[in-house]
Amino acid sequence: MIDFQLTSTDENVLSSAHEQAIIGRRYARYYDKHEDELEPAEFPEAKDLPNPVTLAEEGLSGSSGSRILHSLVMLEIYWGGISLHRSKWGLGNTVLKTVATPEQFEKWKNHTIAIAITEPGAGSDPASIRTTATFDRETGEWILNGEKIFISQAQSGDAAMVLSRFIAPDGSRGMTTFLVEKGTPGFTVGPQLKKLGIRSHDTCNLLFENCRIPEFNHIKGDFKSTMSVFNDSRPMVGAMALGVARAALDFTREKLGERGIEIGYRGGMRSRSAIVDRFIRLEAIYEAALLTVLRSKWLEQQDVPPKVEASIAKAAGGKAARRITQGCIDLLGPEALSEDHPLDRCFRDGRIFDIYEGAGEIQRLIIARSILGYTGRDLR
Amino acid sequence: MISFELTQEQKLAQSMVQELASSQLRPAARSADDREAMPSSILDEIWATGIIQSQSDADGYSPTLNALLLEELAVADASFAIAAAAPIGFLGAIAAQGSSAQKKNLLPIFAGDKYRCAGVAIMEPDFAFDVSAIRSTAIKKRDGYLLSGMKGLIPLAGSCSHFLVVARCGDTLDAFIVERNARGVSVGEKKPNIGLRALEMATVSFKDVELPASARLGESAGCDVQRIIDSARTALSAIMTGTARAVMEFVMPYTKERVVHGDALAKKQTIAFRLADMRIETDAMRWMTWKAASILEQGGDATRQAQLAYTYCTENAMWIADEGVQMLGGHGYLRDNPVEMWYRDTRTVSVLEGAVGV
Repeated sequence: MIDFQLTSTDENVLSSAHEQAIIGRRYARYYDKHEDELEPAEFPEAKDLPNPVTLAEEGLSGSSGSRILHSLVMLEIYWGGISLHRSKWGLGNTVLKTVATPEQFEKWKNHTIAIAITEPGAGSDPASIRTTATFDRETGEWILNGEKIFISQAQSGDAAMVLSRFIAPDGSRGMTTFLVEKGTPGFTVGPQLKKLGIRSHDTCNLLFENCRIPEFNHIKGDFKSTMSVFNDSRPMVGAMALGVARAALDFTREKLGERGIEIGYRGGMRSRSAIVDRFIRLEAIYEAALLTVLRSKWLEQQDVPPKVEASIAKAAGGKAARRITQGCIDLLGPEALSEDHPLDRCFRDGRIFDIYEGAGEIQRLIIARSILGYTGRDLR
Repeated sequence: MISFELTQEQKLAQSMVQELASSQLRPAARSADDREAMPSSILDEIWATGIIQSQSDADGYSPTLNALLLEELAVADASFAIAAAAPIGFLGAIAAQGSSAQKKNLLPIFAGDKYRCAGVAIMEPDFAFDVSAIRSTAIKKRDGYLLSGMKGLIPLAGSCSHFLVVARCGDTLDAFIVERNARGVSVGEKKPNIGLRALEMATVSFKDVELPASARLGESAGCDVQRIIDSARTALSAIMTGTARAVMEFVMPYTKERVVHGDALAKKQTIAFRLADMRIETDAMRWMTWKAASILEQGGDATRQAQLAYTYCTENAMWIADEGVQMLGGHGYLRDNPVEMWYRDTRTVSVLEGAVGV
């Protein structure tokens, strides 16, 4: 039955997530200002608080489902800006889980594994990566050379799952993945990148110079299986984007209210001020995008792997964060620019979601190919 | 619990209406627009689905199902969808907010086997009209009310047996059940508009219409006019979603076939990306509509959600209809193709308030 009400279990988990997000928000400005500092794996305030992500993933009975609840928890976390519990899961872990042998999985299951795909000349077009591994017959090792950029969890992670070209001993070529542990000679992690926003987000470049990797670390994910990790993460990024967007909307509603401007929903557009009308339109964008996220997560729960829906959620969330964070500053005017308030950070943080993990344009390519019945060659 | 699951019954009703929409309604849409008249055979087909009469039956009341079905009807034609949504709005308001006497007197009239129309009269023929600034008045008299005002854009006004007229009564808004034949009621000639030309919309004037106390919806308890407006906004959202889908589903094959500069139009990113955006927005419009409808169904306060759905749909439906014309170029401007009609219809639906319901 069609229903959009949260259950009481959902509400309990989300209110706990929201309380923690309020604490997280107190640290958001600090880590925005200190981008070279990693936040602690667990904040002192979080010592006795359950990790809401874990609660959501447990698939509590009486919830709207673990996928839906997880996405809503991420929305709350991004509303605050800083998670009190650092995630131990990287997208590299997803590759490990889906393609590794049992022995490989056993060895690294407790590692945090970053995913390393993007290169200076290969962002939206990952098929053009140039990082290459050649096989050394004498030692039975792979020798990896190349550069990966914009890598999340680069500093805090224990290892990287690197998408690379390979040249096998028999001369065959292709793409594959290697798990490269921190401390491997020839593997260097660069400094934290200087970004517009999400400055607390651990992001560095990785360099591989004649980096020797044992055959056991050859995880054997191919291009397709590696890229498919984004199927799950896309709607999640939509939810994160909406966390930032809602922080902007909440702040704007509160400040407008203090100036006597209440958002009324009863009348039509010709009865309200331009400010109220604009706010309602921004809020509608938020609601619309949120429902596309829920739709995609709901499909996951039905064991119908979402295809276009995951891209729709990512594209809608990414666009919503841009328009809402920009628009809220218009509504509140010049005072909203100050670092005394959260909107400047929302504005900067909110710009990433339509870029990383597949830019809005890439989502539209995926959607268009799917609805038109085109291949990647038909529509590029 | 958050769920997008349709019940078996909803799926059946949806596919039945889909079938009717593509086999009977879509083929009749263009000539109805040209002739500015609603074919009675179409009304009978819509009536035969039972969607309108189900309002009268306490177990049949389902704004969510109505939203689903109105979208399907509107994929065929927005005028036809409104021909269903107008009496749904009227009957839904009586069923949800009428006194037991009002239900007993009115609902059976709409249980026959022929299409019957009744209208929710909210809009007024006045520039810059807004639902929060209604000018029609009902003055309380010793044993009833004196109703005065003009109501515009009433679908199938000439065939309506009743109107539910929203008027200002003192400081508040109230709704009054007015018979077409009451003294002082006069239905104007049908007036062609930009779109929805098959709907035979007309202005109805109410000149010092004497109404008994029992004409007030809910009688002594009164009613919540906002709920009627919320229901209308939800229905309009469903209809706009349907029209947007019609445009999208029409331009996709067209742009795949149409070759420009040596390749299919749809293979160009500027077109493909806009098609992708049409899909994103029609999805979002539908979920917004479902959410508002499900709150109405559960008896909750849907005002905010209905406003957000309506606002979102008006903006995006117009964008999609506009892009539909653009993607066909000169052919989109010709009346040989339906996109110009959808462009006019969307401009019309997206400024309406009231008139319909889920």
